Amino acid sequence: MMRSAIIAVMCLCMALNAARSSAQEAEATPPPNLPPPTVVTPPLPPMETVEADISTRSLEVTTGFTGHEIVVFGAIDNSQAPKDDAGSYYDVVVVVEGTPFPIVARRKSEVAGVWMNTWSITFNSVPSYYAIASSKPIEEIAGPAVLERHAIGFRHIKMMPAGNSGVGLKDSQLAAFRSAVIRLKHRQDLYVLEPEGVDFVGRSLFRSTIALPANIPVGPLVARTYLFRDGEVVSAHIARVTLHRAGIERLVHNFAFVYPASYGLIAVIIAVLSGLLASMLFRRKTA
Amino acid sequence: MNIYLPIAEMSVNAALLLGLGGAVGFLSGLFGVGGGFLLTPLLIFLGVPTSVAVGTGSMQILASSVSGAMAQYRRNNVDVKMGMVLVAGGVVGSFIGVSLMRILRQMGQFELFVSLCYVTFLGAVGALMLIESVGSIQRQRSGQPVPTRQTGQHSWVHGLPFKMRFHRSKLYISAVPPAMIGAFVGFMAAIMGVGGGFVMVPAMIYLLRVPTSVVIGTSLFQIVFVMAVTTLLQAIENKSVDVVLALILIVGGVVGAQFGAAAGGKLKGEQLRFMLAALVLLVCLRIAWDLMVTPAEIFSIGPLIGGTL
Repeated sequence: MMRSAIIAVMCLCMALNAARSSAQEAEATPPPNLPPPTVVTPPLPPMETVEADISTRSLEVTTGFTGHEIVVFGAIDNSQAPKDDAGSYYDVVVVVEGTPFPIVARRKSEVAGVWMNTWSITFNSVPSYYAIASSKPIEEIAGPAVLERHAIGFRHIKMMPAGNSGVGLKDSQLAAFRSAVIRLKHRQDLYVLEPEGVDFVGRSLFRSTIALPANIPVGPLVARTYLFRDGEVVSAHIARVTLHRAGIERLVHNFAFVYPASYGLIAVIIAVLSGLLASMLFRRKTA
Repeated sequence: MNIYLPIAEMSVNAALLLGLGGAVGFLSGLFGVGGGFLLTPLLIFLGVPTSVAVGTGSMQILASSVSGAMAQYRRNNVDVKMGMVLVAGGVVGSFIGVSLMRILRQMGQFELFVSLCYVTFLGAVGALMLIESVGSIQRQRSGQPVPTRQTGQHSWVHGLPFKMRFHRSKLYISAVPPAMIGAFVGFMAAIMGVGGGFVMVPAMIYLLRVPTSVVIGTSLFQIVFVMAVTTLLQAIENKSVDVVLALILIVGGVVGAQFGAAAGGKLKGEQLRFMLAALVLLVCLRIAWDLMVTPAEIFSIGPLIGGTL
């Protein structure tokens, strides 16, 4: 009797650990359900899981695009929070990330009285957009190790210098470049921090409004939603939204990049025709 | 009303752009200049990437010069043969400029190079114009006759090979200097997003001694063809021509130029040249200031262009 009870408790612990670590490592796959315990001794409440979605699946960037607000909303399944107070029991962090792109960061220095770019470093992949909304400041939610593991927060954005780029730079100089990239992106509204951006509704629902600026690069956005309890991720969920060009905007941009020669030729024709048209219009007026 | 520019990839107020095009058009109508030297820096101040400002500038200049060139051609004010030589040089210069622009962008030095070009040329041309206009205003005040240019003087230009007869200009000179001038202007046009008239016109008058009656028409002829080639090359090599942006600027510029030309008719030539010189020097000083003052942010970020150098 004693032995079987110990085995049952060990099984439970292992299953729990497996579920937690899988939730932490691979957000893409929802955590597998707990296998039913073989022996039903002390009844454990089922694990909480989080499910989330975005208010829209695809967004069109047209010539009238001035940015857009998306709502990431979701629910905590099996919430153990007291009624109307999920916030005291759980924390939710929503990270919306754009496609990573290589970027070049440059640093100016004064050379012969003129400020010019003298140092540069190429980062292999930097998220084009990175918004983080949380139910309270992330430093209060979890320790740096947990945040680093899930790339939550500006400090933990994955950003590696490319190949031989940055060779000969000290760690402190590299860090200065890194923080400059984040500062500049933040100033362009492309990196957004909303420390109180997630609101709980009742004991299991939450929502978060995230502003996409007009200068957001087109492409897919991934929204990762993390459910925290006692400083650990208990569940995670992924949703996607895609920004794509549409209308005249799409036509012009695609044309310019796919058929640059024809695009250039048409630009020349447009310029010549509009110049001639203008002179005709005004000559008729003055004549 | 905001409009999203497809190549510049930014959202800008369309009324602001129209106003900008209109203001530059007004000044170019007032002074009889292309206005590229004002438009391109203004677009950069507005936040348009330097490469897109330069590439789109050439398209706008093409549109604003084509009607002028047609009018001059109809009045027989174009030395087509001289124009062809200038164009041939201009195309070579433009090609070099566009290629250099791509290399400089990869090195991260394009903005600096453009600024230095602007400071150098605007500073030199502005200072010369200022001295000249102040001198002629003073001469008029003191009642002295304004000295007219003497024709038929020979200079080093006339000793070069490949002599050609330019009937319309009544010149028999080497084709090398006009080709060089054309190439230089084409290079500048590609790098700075300007037409280059402010360099070409004085060079033709003082170096080649082309009669003033055909200078404007012939330089417009060169600008039209070189700008067409530059627009095409910028679109292919740098993908930096924003048709939407250019169209808004063209519409604003065309309307502004009409008012500018009307206003310019009420002012004296020397006064206009003095004001233009002051304006050119102001733009020059503003760009020089930005180069020399300690920037608030010494870091910048940009996309990776065709591999690192």
